[in-house]
Amino acid sequence: MNLALARRPAIVSVEPDEAFVTLQGVTKVFGHGKTSFTALQDVSLEVARGEFLCILGASGCGKSTLLSMIAGLDKPTEGTIDIAHGRPAVMFQDPGLLPWLTVRRNVELPMRIHKVGSDERDKTVSRLLAMVGLTDFAESRPHQLSGGMRQRCALARALAQDSQLLLMDEPFAALDAITRDQLHDDLNRIWQETGRTVIFVTHNVREAVRLGDKVLLMTPRPGRVAQKWDVEIPRPRELDSFEVSGLAQEITARLRAGASGNATQ
Amino acid sequence: MQRNRAQRFFKAVWPRALAIGILLGIWQLFVMFGFSSPGGYALPGPADTWSEIVFLTRTGVLLPALLDTLERAAIGYAVALLFGTIVGLAVARIPVLRAGVGSLLAGLQSLPSVVWVPFGVIFLSLGGNVEFAVYFVVLMGAFPSIAMGIMHAYDNIPPLTFSLARSMGATGPRYYRHFIFSASLPGYVAGMKQAWAFSWRSLMAAELIIGSVASGGLGPILDDGRSLGDMPEMLAAMVAILVVGIAVNDIIFAPMERGLLRRRGLVPAA
Repeated sequence: MNLALARRPAIVSVEPDEAFVTLQGVTKVFGHGKTSFTALQDVSLEVARGEFLCILGASGCGKSTLLSMIAGLDKPTEGTIDIAHGRPAVMFQDPGLLPWLTVRRNVELPMRIHKVGSDERDKTVSRLLAMVGLTDFAESRPHQLSGGMRQRCALARALAQDSQLLLMDEPFAALDAITRDQLHDDLNRIWQETGRTVIFVTHNVREAVRLGDKVLLMTPRPGRVAQKWDVEIPRPRELDSFEVSGLAQEITARLRAGASGNATQ
Repeated sequence: MQRNRAQRFFKAVWPRALAIGILLGIWQLFVMFGFSSPGGYALPGPADTWSEIVFLTRTGVLLPALLDTLERAAIGYAVALLFGTIVGLAVARIPVLRAGVGSLLAGLQSLPSVVWVPFGVIFLSLGGNVEFAVYFVVLMGAFPSIAMGIMHAYDNIPPLTFSLARSMGATGPRYYRHFIFSASLPGYVAGMKQAWAFSWRSLMAAELIIGSVASGGLGPILDDGRSLGDMPEMLAAMVAILVVGIAVNDIIFAPMERGLLRRRGLVPAA
């Protein structure tokens, strides 16, 4: 019963099982000799095209390290990372908007860097700003926006990068609960509209259950995959719905059990 | 709108006017109590100094001297800006240079630029022409501030900015234009502002020591006042030097920096 897939509009007409991102035996060791520290050990996973994968874990479990390696900002010590095509777009917990640019200029920056013509740029920016609800703030500066609006702007900028893969590193962790809830709705809608493949890192169990097609739990020291869930709750989901809470409880129980039983996926 | 503007202007001006008023008051007090030098020179008051400024302007002494000096300042500053920018960028980006030259720059910055005057006079005064020696002193005084400004600005770019640039695939000139230069701009402008203060100081020292009535400039008027015992002339030159230093900062550098910081949300909007 895969309701989530059935509800997706048919934007991308590919077999759902086609692997878009493949990690094989990824290990990351920081430092050398006695002071070395294994952040990730033998992580293998596949993300299908158009899938929304949430990587869940307590801080220090290596989930951000994993994401930055998929982003190409860091290299694995061992193992391989394959991405079907293109450079992934990345969103961080800090929106990372450039304070000297207006909202519009921030969003069009990736297109300027890749020399997209001004007509196409203007069209895309207008469309993206409408999508994230910032049309009226196009000429504002980042410091004039609220925290939620900044993340919306960062989302529009990531989408402007025209990458089919969107990596998100706890993007909503610094926001208040009400704003976060709105952004969950928006992200869910935008993901469905754009058919992007998303890898979303979080330490918030409910957030993972609410957003993901799949939730992957990681345990720390060294970071490894503990368990994987398919989330088959119909979208759009409510944060406090019975189904979301139920699965969140199950995952939390597994999380509390900690590293006692590894690799039961 | 018009009224708003006038109000804002008044709001910005009155604290400064008050400060100048107090300063003039203290000066006047010294004069009234008959303050004089051991050699017997009486201190001229603000009014005497003012009429001397008017006199020097009317007789066509002050303005040409001012223009001579400003021209030297502009040329010397421009050379320092260019040189400092190149050195700063090189030191910021090349680790070997940073290790070798980084601390040297800090040392150069604390070295009073007057120290370069004798060197300049002997090695750079071609056929009695001191212009090059003056530019050289200004350059040595001002360029370390520019270079240090760039270096610090580069160091203070948040690591996230580099990650962003990389994840967006920015390389080469576009990497510098969209990320490095823009992110370093406030630090660069702060360095430029400080470099102006240093270059103005250096220029005055150089003009005072190696300038002559023939070479022109404000420095020689100051020196002329001292050697002839013309106290009002000496003070008039001092006031002119002070006013120029403040004016250039207030008209060019301060608004530049303020606008930059305001656009980035680093100071509250006026």
